[in-house]
Amino acid sequence: MSIINEISENLQTGKVKAVKELVQTAINDGIDPSTILNDGLLSGMNVIGEKFKNNEVYVPEVLVAARAMNAGVQLLKPLLIEEGVQAKGRVCIGTVQGDLHDIGKNLVKMMMEGKGIEVIDLGTDVSPETFVNTAIEKDCQIICCSALLTTTMDVMGEVVKCAEKAGIRDKVKIMVGGAPVTQEFCDKIGADCYTSDAASAADAAVELCRSAS
Amino acid sequence: MTNRERIMNILHFKDADRLPAVHFGYWGELLLEWAEQGKISKDLAIGNYDGSEKEIELDRIIGWDCNWSRPVGYNNGLFPPFEHKVLEVLPDGSQRVQSPDGLIERIKPGTVSIPSEDDYLLKDREAFETLYKPKMQFFPERIDLEYFRNFNNTRPQDVAVGLAVGSVLGNIRNMTSVVGMSYLIYDEDEDLFADIVDTYADMQYKCLEAVLQTGAKFDFAHYWEDICFKNGPLISPELFEKYCAKHYKKRNDLCHKYGIDIISLDCDGVVEKLLPTWFNNGVNTMFPIEVGVWGDQFEPARKKFGNGLLGVGGMDKTALRKDKAAVDAEIERMKRLVSLGGFIPCPDHRLMPGTKFELVQYYAEEIKKIRI
Ligand code: B12
Repeated sequence: MSIINEISENLQTGKVKAVKELVQTAINDGIDPSTILNDGLLSGMNVIGEKFKNNEVYVPEVLVAARAMNAGVQLLKPLLIEEGVQAKGRVCIGTVQGDLHDIGKNLVKMMMEGKGIEVIDLGTDVSPETFVNTAIEKDCQIICCSALLTTTMDVMGEVVKCAEKAGIRDKVKIMVGGAPVTQEFCDKIGADCYTSDAASAADAAVELCRSAS
Repeated sequence: MTNRERIMNILHFKDADRLPAVHFGYWGELLLEWAEQGKISKDLAIGNYDGSEKEIELDRIIGWDCNWSRPVGYNNGLFPPFEHKVLEVLPDGSQRVQSPDGLIERIKPGTVSIPSEDDYLLKDREAFETLYKPKMQFFPERIDLEYFRNFNNTRPQDVAVGLAVGSVLGNIRNMTSVVGMSYLIYDEDEDLFADIVDTYADMQYKCLEAVLQTGAKFDFAHYWEDICFKNGPLISPELFEKYCAKHYKKRNDLCHKYGIDIISLDCDGVVEKLLPTWFNNGVNTMFPIEVGVWGDQFEPARKKFGNGLLGVGGMDKTALRKDKAAVDAEIERMKRLVSLGGFIPCPDHRLMPGTKFELVQYYAEEIKKIRI
């Protein structure tokens, strides 16, 4: 098996130590950092994402795979910056005001990073203004809002309104998701995209970023 | 008929003069909202929790017969718990606090609800052996034996009383957070997670045995897990079976030996994939069957497992935020499920802010009109 495949395989089983060692070996062997990233780490994460979507793996498997991916990315980051590798797009993500649940949001973030998108994580309890101001300041193509409470999901509607007020609604797409959120709700508040799971969210984000550029 | 007879009869496929009006409690925020609207007194809204006198008083005002989630029990927590202490105050004024479960939580100034999880202590073998294992042992102090020795005489005779038989995974999730639990499952020390689950389960088995040996009689046993979400379980069904099945079997066999034949389990989210492990190992009553938010369903499960599977719950509580027509539609849907037998309607989770007081009263009144 090539070292790149080994990285992918070990990532899929969440082996942090092995992934770190293999990535370091690959770097030392002079393999192009983008190849290690795309064909090793990100392709492994994509396999996990697909399996998660199809209920073949569950939250723990995704979390340990993501931990392994992050360990590998940390080693590659300085090299990728040197190489000047461009992200496929930039988004900001957060859990809406009043809501502190962040596991689903973090999974969405990891899956998006796994697709090569730059993700600005605003954390939890994020106000509509913070979403919108970040999108403006950091020039994000998408605002991603997560909510797990029926009582906080309405904040997503306010994010849409706040973006309209700031005059960026035609430039920025708004994605929504989280346990109580549905396609119907997404349509009702005038957001652009809803998906029920993190892997589909990442696919959709890639599409939205592509159409934005 | 008493409510106890009604409940026991229905869950044993026998006749009852009417349905009992069963509920699953409230979010604290809703009670405060009702107090503000002048529906209940402020005093009744504060310190009102499952089984408290205030809750029973509120049952009377609304017209409920009982809350299913009101079992009696023993202390199955960490013993003694970790000291609740402030570890650090951050520049933005938020505090990092160690919880009794060993979670490190961040409390932002001005937030009333639950704090967010920041870190946790149960990370590796050493933390387990030195910090947690000693706190997961059986101690007689976990149980009020005197209370259980007198239980048959002192318990309310007119409502079904359950015995809380703990959890297998839910409380461990509370000690580690979902993320921490995931990392432990895949720890390099492959036996670690199983050791944690086994140690915690063995202690609970001993507690259960000690309670049942007092001769106290219960109408049902009740687990709490909360290990599922929108898209299914928070752990793979295979791993759940591997780590947990034997513990359910052992505890449930003991319940059966002492004549408890209704064993319910509280798990929200979509539970379908974990049902085989539960059902095949003695858990036979689904609760609260969250149909409203995630579309979890009783009927397909009944079809799959047959009449051995009972249900308490399944009423879409969001109807109680809408209008009479929505409540009527739910009641009609409930009639169908009730006709299957072995099923008692109950709002599918705690009533949340925005729930209309009059609609709850109306629901409780109407549901009691249904005969079995
Ligand atoms: C773990 C948990 C907690 C943890 C949170 C830890 C953390 N760091 O996040 C703790 C213990 C802190 C907690 C607290 C509370 N919780 Co809670 N919690 C849960 C639980 C058990 C699991 C949630 C979870 O992590 N799921 C796993 C993740 C992976 O799923 P997910 O978030 O849905 O994400 C997936 C998709 O939705 C999607 N997605 C998510 N975000 C986004 C964003 C975008 C843009 C897209 C496209 C997709 C997407 O992708 C993800 C992966 O596929 C649920 C139970 C449930 N049935 O959901 C309750 C639940 C969400 N909690 C609930 C409640 C009530 C609370 C509390 C209010 C309790 C209280 N009375 O104080 C507090 C709220 C605190 C606050 N202000 O936020 C309720 C909400 C009920 C409702 N209908 O509103 C639930 C449903 C439990 C219940 N049945 O009552 N909770």
